Amino acid sequence: MKNMSKKKLIVIILIAIIIIAGITITLTKGLNYDLRYQDTKRVELYLGKDFKIADIKQITDEVLPDQAVLIQKIEVYEDSISIISKDITDEQKTNLVNKVNEKYETELNADDIATTTIPHTRGRDIVKPYILPFIIATVIILAYMAVRYHKLGSIKTVLKTAGICILAQIILLSLIAITRIPVGRLTIPMVITVYILTLVGLTTKFEKDLANNKKEEK
Amino acid sequence: MKKVKLLTITLIIVLVAMVAFVGVYVQKQNRMEDEVRDYSYSMDLKGTRNVTLKVSQENKTIIKDSNGDEVADSEDLTDEEIAQNGYTKEEIPYNSEEALTVENYKKSKEILEKRLKAMNVQNYVIKLNEQTGDIILELAEDENTDSIISNVGTAGKFEIVDTQTNEVLMTNKDIKLANVMYGSGSSTETTSSGTTVYLNIEFTKEGKQKLEEISNKYIKSEDTGADENTTENETSENTTDETTSEKTITMKIDDEEIMSTSFDEPIRTGKLQLSVGRATTDQDTLQDSIAQASSMATVLDTGNLPLKYEVDGNEYVLSDITENQLQIVQYALIGIVAIGLIVLIIRYKSNGLLGAISYVGLAALFVLIIRYTNVVLSIEGIFAIAITLLLNYIFVNKLLAKLKQSEVKKENIKQAIKETYKEFFIKIIPICIMVITFCFIKWIPISSFGMVMFWGIALIAIYHISVTNSLLRIKASK
Repeated sequence: MKNMSKKKLIVIILIAIIIIAGITITLTKGLNYDLRYQDTKRVELYLGKDFKIADIKQITDEVLPDQAVLIQKIEVYEDSISIISKDITDEQKTNLVNKVNEKYETELNADDIATTTIPHTRGRDIVKPYILPFIIATVIILAYMAVRYHKLGSIKTVLKTAGICILAQIILLSLIAITRIPVGRLTIPMVITVYILTLVGLTTKFEKDLANNKKEEK
Repeated sequence: MKKVKLLTITLIIVLVAMVAFVGVYVQKQNRMEDEVRDYSYSMDLKGTRNVTLKVSQENKTIIKDSNGDEVADSEDLTDEEIAQNGYTKEEIPYNSEEALTVENYKKSKEILEKRLKAMNVQNYVIKLNEQTGDIILELAEDENTDSIISNVGTAGKFEIVDTQTNEVLMTNKDIKLANVMYGSGSSTETTSSGTTVYLNIEFTKEGKQKLEEISNKYIKSEDTGADENTTENETSENTTDETTSEKTITMKIDDEEIMSTSFDEPIRTGKLQLSVGRATTDQDTLQDSIAQASSMATVLDTGNLPLKYEVDGNEYVLSDITENQLQIVQYALIGIVAIGLIVLIIRYKSNGLLGAISYVGLAALFVLIIRYTNVVLSIEGIFAIAITLLLNYIFVNKLLAKLKQSEVKKENIKQAIKETYKEFFIKIIPICIMVITFCFIKWIPISSFGMVMFWGIALIAIYHISVTNSLLRIKASK
């Protein structure tokens, strides 16, 4: 029993450290948003011929060292390219164009190519479409839990379920903040996965408790 | 006989797996083409139409009279006529300096979002540059994309003005809602009958009052013989009766005249029903009218943009997630599953082998179902596939563990399957609730997750009672 308490205490301390560290990092450094959600600069180049993303990546690695770069093909013929990075200076743009001209024997002129500013996507805009579905699903799930596990105490079950689900998400977000995993297209699927695993864990625990209660009653 | 049965089921599973994971290739014009339907990908995985809406810097020309008031119907005036009448020409920007504020930029973005929702756009990204007011829209590429783009940036300025004086009588502020209605019957202008599409505009309390006053003031005089009323066609025809001196109103959307008319009787309902196109039985014509009316209704219902925007960029950008990267994900999943199945075989020997064969069959059927049910696969959908495969692994492992505990007899198999079903599905009821909820959400990444998992869970429920049960029972039979 003493051992159990100790284990529990270690887990609680560990969770508390993760959450505090996560909140501190989020408040001081903010979350590390994926490039597609940040304020960026975009340059579009018309090559007029087939090309490989890997080759363009090689060029951007040389011209924009240590910078995250997003490379996408444009239009159905896939003969134009969009290069997005946190910042692209005029000098970098010229170098980029020169290297592309060299590689693909094109005659692009850096002065004719505009650098477009792409605004960031607000975090709340990313999350907004998911809030209502999660609320609806959670409310129904909590109602089900209250009915199914009423022998364990409806209010206790509901509070436990809601609390652990929220805690699991806070831990996930803290880990994302600590590890600097970019907040982007994989974040929501990760949230859903953690939510599902939490629910499976909770129902397994409650079913076990219910079975134990039955045994004790007998 | 037992071996033949087992072998037959195994071969069928192998065949289904080949179809699902390799494909069925047929020669078509000197090249081999896979006949198995491909996945339907969401915009995250396929690509997006990127539209840049720039705040208009253009000017508009207005003609003013000697009093400084704007002259109505001045479009057709020549320079000579302007000079003769003592009018002056002025160039003013569509968007005044005072209108270029962050509040207006944000309001424009909000209105655009409302329009996208009203147009049932189920996946988009919207970005606002708060310095310039430029808005970037990322939309899924499909047959509706062009019409969405043409509607979304429309200013949506609604006005009812006095045709003669150009006095503004009603504006967007007076509109409560706008929607599309249908009516059957014959057209008054043609002999054809069928369905008529109406643009229904409902006005606010104040608007209702204004409309009543206007319809009283601009009522048809009995001797004019004017041939229009407010429920007649307005989008296809300009019906101003130039020969009468009767007072008429002009309805304008985005400064474009939609109709000019007077009223038969005062309108006290606060509603205007404007027919769009003529009564028709032709489905294509009807669909065109519905689309036209819906666009107008959406634009009017969501309010007018405080600024005029212009479509500056409109291009299709492919996803940065390439086919190769998706294949890597697929191989990684196959690798993990393969390791899991080897563990099953080691732990449960021959039963484990049957469990593994059954598992492969389910995975193959699952991906085929996703392809043929037209489920849109997003990144969330890929996660849903992984979770479903994990749940299926848990099910098979649980079943085999139960069988390991007891002697492998037909009765025991029945009992083990029954117990596994009960334990497994009771535990995943909350997941089922979530999945069903997600299926009904009109946001593709979520509905993709819901639909993929729905088919996965349904398949687990049906498949094991038939295929896994059969495999184990055949093995147990003497």
